[in-house]
Order: sequence, then C-alpha cells, then structure tokens
Amino acid sequence: MTTYEVAQQAITYTLEQGGSDLRQISPIAAVTVTLLVAMLVDLVLPARRRGPVVAIISVVGLLVALGLAGLLWLQGGGHSAYFGFATGDNLALFFEMLFSVLGILTVIVSHAYVRRRDFLEAEFQVLTLAAVAGMMVLGAATSLVTIFLGLELLSIALYVACGFARRDTTSQEAAAKYLLIGGFASAFVLYGMALVYGGAGSTRLTDIAQRIGPNDATNPLLLLGVLLLGVGFAFKISGVPFHQWTPDVYQGAPLPVTAFMSVGTKAAAFAMIIRVFDYALPSLGAEWQALLAFVAAASMIVGNLLAIVQTSVKRLLAYSGIAQGGYMLIGVLAGGQRGIGAVLFYLFAYLFMNFGAFAMLTVLVTSEGEHDRLDDLHGLADSYPVLGVMMSIFMLSLAGFPPLVGFFGKLFLFTAGVFTGWTWLVIIAVLTSVMSVAYYLRVVYHVWTPQVEARLVDRAPGPLIAVGVSALLSVALGILPAVVLGAGFVGASPVIAGR
Amino acid sequence: MLTALWLVPVAGGVLVGLLPRRWTRPVGLLTLGVGLALALAVAVLFQRGHSGYQFEEYVPWIRDYSIAYHMGIDGIGLWLVLLNALLTVIAILAAGDRGGRPRGFIALILMLEGGMAGVFLAADLLLFYVFWEAQLIPAYFLLWQWGEPRGEGYTANAAATKFLLYTLVGSLLALVGVIGEYVYGGGGAHTFDLRTLAAHPPSDAIQFGLFFLFALAFAIKVPLFPFHGWLPDAYAVAPIPLLVTFAGVMGKTGAYAMLRILIPLLPHPTLWWDWNAVMPALAVLGIAWGALMALAQRDVKLLVAYSSVSHMGFIVLGIFAFNQQGQQGAVLQMVNHGIIIAALFLLVGWVSAQTGTRDRALMKDLAPRMPVTAGAFLVVTLAALGLPILNSFVGEFMTLLGAWQYAPWLAVAACLGLVLAPVYMLRLFQGLMYAGPGEQLPAPMPHGGEAAVARTDIASRELVLLVPLLVLMFLLGLYPYLLTQAMTSLGFPLPVPWR
Repeated sequence: MTTYEVAQQAITYTLEQGGSDLRQISPIAAVTVTLLVAMLVDLVLPARRRGPVVAIISVVGLLVALGLAGLLWLQGGGHSAYFGFATGDNLALFFEMLFSVLGILTVIVSHAYVRRRDFLEAEFQVLTLAAVAGMMVLGAATSLVTIFLGLELLSIALYVACGFARRDTTSQEAAAKYLLIGGFASAFVLYGMALVYGGAGSTRLTDIAQRIGPNDATNPLLLLGVLLLGVGFAFKISGVPFHQWTPDVYQGAPLPVTAFMSVGTKAAAFAMIIRVFDYALPSLGAEWQALLAFVAAASMIVGNLLAIVQTSVKRLLAYSGIAQGGYMLIGVLAGGQRGIGAVLFYLFAYLFMNFGAFAMLTVLVTSEGEHDRLDDLHGLADSYPVLGVMMSIFMLSLAGFPPLVGFFGKLFLFTAGVFTGWTWLVIIAVLTSVMSVAYYLRVVYHVWTPQVEARLVDRAPGPLIAVGVSALLSVALGILPAVVLGAGFVGASPVIAGR
Repeated sequence: MLTALWLVPVAGGVLVGLLPRRWTRPVGLLTLGVGLALALAVAVLFQRGHSGYQFEEYVPWIRDYSIAYHMGIDGIGLWLVLLNALLTVIAILAAGDRGGRPRGFIALILMLEGGMAGVFLAADLLLFYVFWEAQLIPAYFLLWQWGEPRGEGYTANAAATKFLLYTLVGSLLALVGVIGEYVYGGGGAHTFDLRTLAAHPPSDAIQFGLFFLFALAFAIKVPLFPFHGWLPDAYAVAPIPLLVTFAGVMGKTGAYAMLRILIPLLPHPTLWWDWNAVMPALAVLGIAWGALMALAQRDVKLLVAYSSVSHMGFIVLGIFAFNQQGQQGAVLQMVNHGIIIAALFLLVGWVSAQTGTRDRALMKDLAPRMPVTAGAFLVVTLAALGLPILNSFVGEFMTLLGAWQYAPWLAVAACLGLVLAPVYMLRLFQGLMYAGPGEQLPAPMPHGGEAAVARTDIASRELVLLVPLLVLMFLLGLYPYLLTQAMTSLGFPLPVPWR
C-alpha cells in the first residue's frame, strides 16, 4: 500500500470504523485513560491523600482493561485495526489480560512498599500504568512502527521507575545502567527495523510476511536487519551474551519494579519476538532460528551456572530469569500452535511463580531498606510457616516440580521442542534444570533455617494478598493446567492462521 | 476408589499440616486407618484371574495434549499399594515424638505415601511421571529436616541434596523419554496412554535411546549398581521410621517402573547393543557388590543399607529374566524385601538406641539382656538370608529359576550373593547378640573402651509394630500363592501386562 492510498483511506475513515477500531484496542485505551485521570487526580488532591486514591484508580482502571480484554476474548477475539497498525486478535488479548493481572499485582504490592520506604506513591503508580500501557501496545502491535512505540513507552517508564529510590546509589546505578543498555538495545531494534523495512517495503507485519520469501535469504541487508533485531530482542529478554545488565538492574531497582519488569519486560519482549519472527519472518526461519538457538543454549547454561554462586536473592532470581528465558526460547523456535501456545502458558505460569517470589521479598522490607540476602531469609518459616511453605512453592515451581505449574510449563515447551527436532536444546534444558534445582533449593534451605530472634515481617495486607494469590494459582494451575493451555492455544492461533 | 487410595493420604497430610498440633495424632491415625482399610478393601474386591486393569478411572485432564487422569490397578500394583499402606502405618507408629516436631513429620510422610501410591496406580505415562516426581518433594524435606548428621561436616541437608540431585538427573532425562514416547510412540497417536503406547512401540533405534533415558531414572531410584551412590549417605542420615517407607517402598517404585514402563513400552531396545542384556548383568554385579560392601561395614545401619542393594539386584534380575517365574519372583521379592528391610531397620534402630552406638564392633553379648529382641532378630536374619519357610526363600528361588531359564550363567553368578548373604547377616546377628567373652571379635575396638552395655529389652509397644511383619514373613513363606495368584498379567509371551 502506498502513502497515497493510506492518505486516501485516512480521508474516507468513518466514525463507524473509528468506533470499531477503538474497540479492538479498548484495553489499551482504558489503561491510557486511567493514566491520564491518575495524573489529573494527583494534581488536584492534597498530598496526603494522593497516593491511596491513585492506587485505587489504577486498580480499577486495570480491572476495566482486564474486563474489556476478557469480553473481547469471549466474543472470539477481534481483528486488525487502524490500517494494520494494531490488532485486537487473540494473541494481543492474551497479553493484555496477562499485563492487566501483572499491573494489578504490582500496584497492590507497591502500595505498601512505597509507604514503608517513604516514596511518592502517585508518581510511582502512574509510571507503572505507563509501563503496562507500553507492554500492551507491544502485545497488540502489528506494525514495526507501533512495536517501537510500545517498546519505548515501556522502557522510558521503567528507566524512571528503576531510579525511584533517589537516595539509594544502587538504585541510581541501576537506572543509569538500564538507560544506557536499554537505549543501546532500542537502537539495535530500530536499525534492524529500518533494514527489514528496506527489504520488504512496508512496516506492516502482514505485508512483510507476504513479501519476504525464502529467496530473500541471500539479501545481505535483510539478513543484517534480522541479526540486529535478534540482538535487540535478546537484550530485552536478557538472553546470554546480552544479559550483563540484568543482575545489576534487578538488584538496584526497588523491589516492586524488579518484580514487575522481571515478568513484564520478558513477556512483552516475547510478544515482540513472536510477532516479528514467528509471524512476519517465517521465511527467514533458518537465519533467526540459528541466532535464537545459540542465545537459548547460552542463556540456559550461563544463567543456571551463575545463579548457583549468588548470595542475593534478587540477583539469584535475575540469573534464574535469564535461564527461564532460555527455556521459553525453545517454544519460540518450535513455533506453531504447540510452540507458541507453550510460550504463552509458560509466561502465565512465570507471572505467578516469579512475581510471587519477589512479592515475598517485599514482605521483608523495613524502613531501613530491603533485605534480600539469602541469610535475611533465616527464620522466615520458623516464625511464619505459611509464608515458608509459599516461598517453597514458588521455588519448587520455578525448578519444575510437579504438580506445580512450572512443571507443566516445561513439559509443554519441551514437548514442542522435541516435536520440531530441537531435541538437543531440550537435553541442554533438562540437564541445566538439574543445576537450577541446586540454587532454588538453597533458597528453600535458607527459608527453613531456624533463627533465634523473631523475623520482622511487614503485615500490610497488599503484599501478603499478592503472595497468597500467586501461591494459590501456582498450585491450582498445576492441578488444572488445561484452562490456561487452551487459552494459550487460542492465543497462538492468529500467528498460525497468518501463515 | 483408586483416587481415594492416594488422595486420602495426601489430603490427610495437608490437613495435619494445617490443623493445630493437638489434632496431629488423631487426624494422622485416622488417615492411616482409612488408607489401610481402603487398600485392604481393594485387595479383597480384586478379581483374581483377570490380567487387565481393575477399578479403572478415566477423566480427560489436558485435552490439547490428550493427557488423561487414568488410573487402574492390577495384580502387581495391588500388593505394592498394600505394602505401602502397611509400612506407612508402622513408620508413623514407630516415629513417636520425632524430634519434637511430629506434625511436620507425619504430614510429610503421609504425602510421601500418597505420592508412591499414585506411582503404582497411574495408567497414563504423564500421570505416572507427575507422581514419580512429586514424591521427591516430601522425601527431600523428610531427609533434610529429620535426618541425623552423618559425622562431622556432613549434614543431613548434604545427604538430602545429594539424593535429590542424583534422582533428578535420572528423572529429568526420563522426562525427555516421556516426551519421546509421546512424539514417536503409539503409532503416531500422540498419546500418553500406556496401553496404546505398549501396543505400538517406536522403531528399535528410537527404543534404544528412550530405554537409556528411562532406565537411568529407574536404576537410580532402585538403586541398581553402579547408580547407588546416593544410598549410603541418604540411609545413614535418615531416621529409622522414615527408612521403613523409604527403603521399604521407594526403591520398589523404581523396580515397578522397570516392570510396567520399561519392558512393555520398549520391548526391543537394540541398536549398537541390546539393553535388555545389559540390565541383568548390572543386576548380578549389584548383587555381588552390595553383598561385598555389606561384609565390609562396621556401621550396622550401613550394613543393612548395602544388603538392600544386594537384594534389589535379585528383583531387577527377575524382572529382566523375561519369563513368568522370574517376574513373579521379582514382584514377590519386592513385597518380601519391603517387609524384611523394614523389620531389619526397626531392630537395628532399637538396638542402636539402647546401646548408644551404631558400631558393630562395640556391641556384643546382647541376647541375655534383650531376649525378645534377639528372638525377633533371629527370625528376620534368617528371612533375610533366604531360609526356607520364611518369605524371602520363595522369591529368590523363583527369581533364580527364571534367570536360569533366561541364561544359566546369570543364575550361577547371582548365587554368589546367596552365599554371601548368610555370611554378613549371621555375622551381624552373632556379633551383636552372642559374641561371648574370650571369643574373637569381628574387628578390634578402636577406642579401647568397654563394649557398650544394653540396658533394657524392647517394649511391648515396639513389639506390636514388629509382630505383623513377622507374621507376614511366615505367611508369605508358607503360602506365597496368596500373592502370585493375582499376578496373571506377567510373563509370556511378551511382558505386556495390561491387555
């Protein structure tokens, strides 16, 4: 489609079509409106009452977004909108629901955290909303332009959030590091997009999928574009060897931010990878698969090895996240309904088990700061056996023990891998999983190590609710994984149908 | 009915964990009673002479992957489920007030019972795997939290972690095997249903690979020589009540899996060599190795542990004799060994508790002071070394008969173990009970101190636990047909049990 045609369409764009298009992106619109309302409220209300009100508005707005996405899902999913720049298909809706849930959990957890550490709450929640909006845009974007828009919206909000602890130098360091490396990664993605646009002559993914065939594999510029895109994506999912920023940023950022981005950034990046690689560039499969297979193998090995020697739980979970990203790449490589469906299932599982683990750490926060050393966990189970059991559930689920949800995530990923001939990657994944058990159990060990003095625990309800819900779902989805797996298969269908 | 067999212990365990401490004993004992009654009811209602599954339950679980909640019981699982229920009752009654924390101990040991029952009941490969892995979690926590340190610098946690990592290497590779069966087995049906998978095995070359993945997991669990490295440490730290089920039942899950998963699903694993010829050779090596190691032990607990390695070799030998006598003998021996090893560990534990040492060389002349213990010990010793009239004789005889028909040299080599068993067992018994003054002691006393002096005999409470085991030893020795009459699904022509 030429520029002229687009201009012509813009003129003939009717109200009716405008309403239909808006419906497709209604969850994103809901979050954006909430964001604006929250900013206005922040201006109007007295300083003392701003925080709680903004938190409540954020939760309501995210619930509305969740409801809208769910409603569209139940109607069988939406379709492409805004001349192919965004979509309301099932894949987008799946991610919008995931990010809504993540946003709600984050707001609940950070409310207590922000008060305890004496931060400005309203600003914090607005940043969270902005990042959620960016993630949702990434899930719904079907054009290189909107993909970049979502990527930057998400990243810029998180740069600020990472440095939110202004008097804490590690937080400032994290923000600076994330800003520099994130900008670097964005530049890679942008250059890659430019080259792919040069090869395909369009930024819309459907056009790219149609116009680029297997013959284009000899086009050096296009190949360079794919390579640059792959590197940029690898940065975002913190795949080895582009992972060095992750432990430092995760450790320095305030806990709710770490919890939020450990799941959110990863899921958004996988949305981007699935859209661009699995959907738009299947003809160059051999090229990007080689790159991602290397990143997957390296992530699983390096992530799991380095996690063993960590003494900070935040850093340990950062390395574990690197390895988990490697597992998920197996699903991306496998592709098809099984592969993509498995990735979506795993992201949903990861949301609860990983967020729950971080949320547990926020329970241990005091006014002096965070306590994330392994030794700080001592006595937790002695004083609060229920919390000890829940932390053990998160760790065992991340390690992939049945009947917890993490096991089924791995099962579906690995099955998809074996089906499509990635057996060697699956073997690496399995052997490194054994290594991972060593450090996940170290956390469990420290949780159950007795300590004489009673453990100080923040009794604010927010984090405890988030932890409880996460633990409950980690078990419940392990016993009944079919529901989410079915949703994952439906969510994967737009990618398959587009081929 | 079958669901209750595993769900009642698991639910009871969870309940014990949640309820206040004063409910621990009543709820635990009620659960045990119900569990044993259910197992007995299944045994009574079981139809002899049928070779298929009975009491089948089938509910689709994860439709997208055609995974079913499929349970069934036959003449092999039946006896192991019964053994499991019985030994758990004895374990919990023997535990008493374990470490001042009976609540956690009872809760976990009930969950362990439920997990192991599930292994014996599952008729779907994935469901089997879920139970297989799930039983590890309670086992790990029991070993770690209630284990006794083994000497200086070797904590219970180290032994528990070693056990877990050893087992996980095997079982995670078995997960690849499970996925491989799904992808390549069942004639392209993509199912985990054991019957379908057994009816259409994959090609010989793929069977060769899958056999390795499965066999490694099962061999580590049994444990089969040379994969028994975890066993001495784990058995040395495990408390005696835990060993009753740990040694008595958990090893049998591995042997059961060889009989019901390995042989039926992969009947012809031949590529570079024939795996079916390797297994019995390893079994014979294990018989000899376990016996020789038992001869060299001074620690009575470890002596019994190594004798267990030797006896498990007979079971594996019988399974891989590929005929009715051998396999029936193996199943009979699984039950026999469970009864004998439980009784041996209980006796050894009581004697050590009374004398305050586990060193064989420091104990002597106990019989006059503990006449009842000595009598019981004599019966169990004779049963363990395979004296006719007592139960082990029949099982070992049938196993060797089967092995002779398969390959005479195997039976001849295995007889070495039969020769060594009286040596180490009688030496243990005589050394502990009768070595009088002036007689040469088996080994010089290292500390030059006085031989430990026993104080009292076992109490009637402890005798009550032993009596059912002793009765069963005579009963199964005199009337093994009670068990073998139900095992119609074994042996010729191919060992495919479930028709």
